[in-house]
Amino acid sequence: MSLLDGWWDDFFFGLLTVLQVFAVALAIAVALGLLGASAKLSNSRLLRALAQVYTVVFRGAPELLVLLLFYFGMALTLTWFVQLFDPSVKFIDLPPFWAGSIAIGLIVGAYMTETFRGAFLGVDRGHIEAARALSLNPYQVFWYVRVPQMWRLALPNFGNHMLSIMKDTALISIIGLEEILFVAKMANSVVHRPFLLYVTVAMIYLAMTTVITLVVGQLEVRANRHLRGTR
Amino acid sequence: MSFDFALIATSLPKILQGLGLTLNLLVVSTLLGLLLAVGILLMRLSQHAWLVWPAKAYIYFFRGTPLLVQLFIIYYGLPQFGLLRHSFLWPLLREPYWCSVIALALNTAAYVSEILRGGVLGVDKGLIEAGKALGLTKFQRASRITTPLAVRLALPAYSNEIVSMLKSTALASTVTLMEMTGVARTIVADTFAPYEIFIAATIIYLVLVWFIQTAFTLIEGYANRHVRKG
Repeated sequence: MSLLDGWWDDFFFGLLTVLQVFAVALAIAVALGLLGASAKLSNSRLLRALAQVYTVVFRGAPELLVLLLFYFGMALTLTWFVQLFDPSVKFIDLPPFWAGSIAIGLIVGAYMTETFRGAFLGVDRGHIEAARALSLNPYQVFWYVRVPQMWRLALPNFGNHMLSIMKDTALISIIGLEEILFVAKMANSVVHRPFLLYVTVAMIYLAMTTVITLVVGQLEVRANRHLRGTR
Repeated sequence: MSFDFALIATSLPKILQGLGLTLNLLVVSTLLGLLLAVGILLMRLSQHAWLVWPAKAYIYFFRGTPLLVQLFIIYYGLPQFGLLRHSFLWPLLREPYWCSVIALALNTAAYVSEILRGGVLGVDKGLIEAGKALGLTKFQRASRITTPLAVRLALPAYSNEIVSMLKSTALASTVTLMEMTGVARTIVADTFAPYEIFIAATIIYLVLVWFIQTAFTLIEGYANRHVRKG
């Protein structure tokens, strides 16, 4: 692997960027998923309609298109806004890191919405009624009865959504974020070994997705531990 | 800053010029991917470890890495080998169209073979035993019992995979293909009106998704006509 000498540190920092995007996008996706699922299950027709539009649009549009729309759209809006105060500014954009993390969070949040909605509905009504009968308040019902049970039901899909986020981070190289695919492009312009470089990128992603798969598998074992021996 | 609705209307026909290529990529790579998926499925379901392991490794690699990276390996990476550049494959691998088709097909095959495997595993064992008891041969059991039932079980997941393939065709724009996203990016580079143009493109994709989902709802209804409540 002497061909990659001098590029390992770039790959390392690229990987750190990937992990940061992953963390930020995951946090946004979970927050939006919980909000979306609550909206879809609410009594308000307006909230239900808004959540429906959100999931239809962000699950139907290509990830790349959403990313480009968000990045270039935000640049246009920010430039317009800043020029209101300082007309000498020519161009200002949302850093690719934030544009990319938010765009991916928005997309995967739409998938999370459906997962969480299904999981909330999967919690046995009887358990919630029992909790109320035991005079738990709505906050306690939510955190001690609903969430622990919906979490178990949501885990398999949740794992898949985490894999989507990890793999979607590669797209952000297109708007100029220096993650590992971008590093490989730069390195290739110097060492001209595209196959080796892109396979290296693939292997790094494969390692990341393997870790996620293993962790989710362990979490599932843990979440289902009360069912052990019943089948 | 202003939002120009007229620009959406005027850019729609331009973006639609890329519709043909988008659909072409979708159909060709989906069909090739389905063929490949059936092959991988048979390997994965076989009794021989030397067939099962390559299939598992294939699925693991193509589901665990980003499609964009797979596309770059094929389009930018493979020409690194002089041997390939002088082989009969070169006329294909030099074309961004075929590189995109190959990447999309290889990628979807991994997902579809797992979807189909889920269908096969979901078929009731009792039905296959009943087939055995009635003296059906192994081939007859596979073609008349397992396959139709497995396909029916796999349909909902397969429709999601087709939608996901439609969205993936947008990545072909990164290797210079002028499908809908590629056309939209070119127009944005000229007009710098990202909202109007990209929203117009999104609308077309959403309509296509709706068509795919409606078609599959009809197909699923037909496949499950025996359980329809009268």
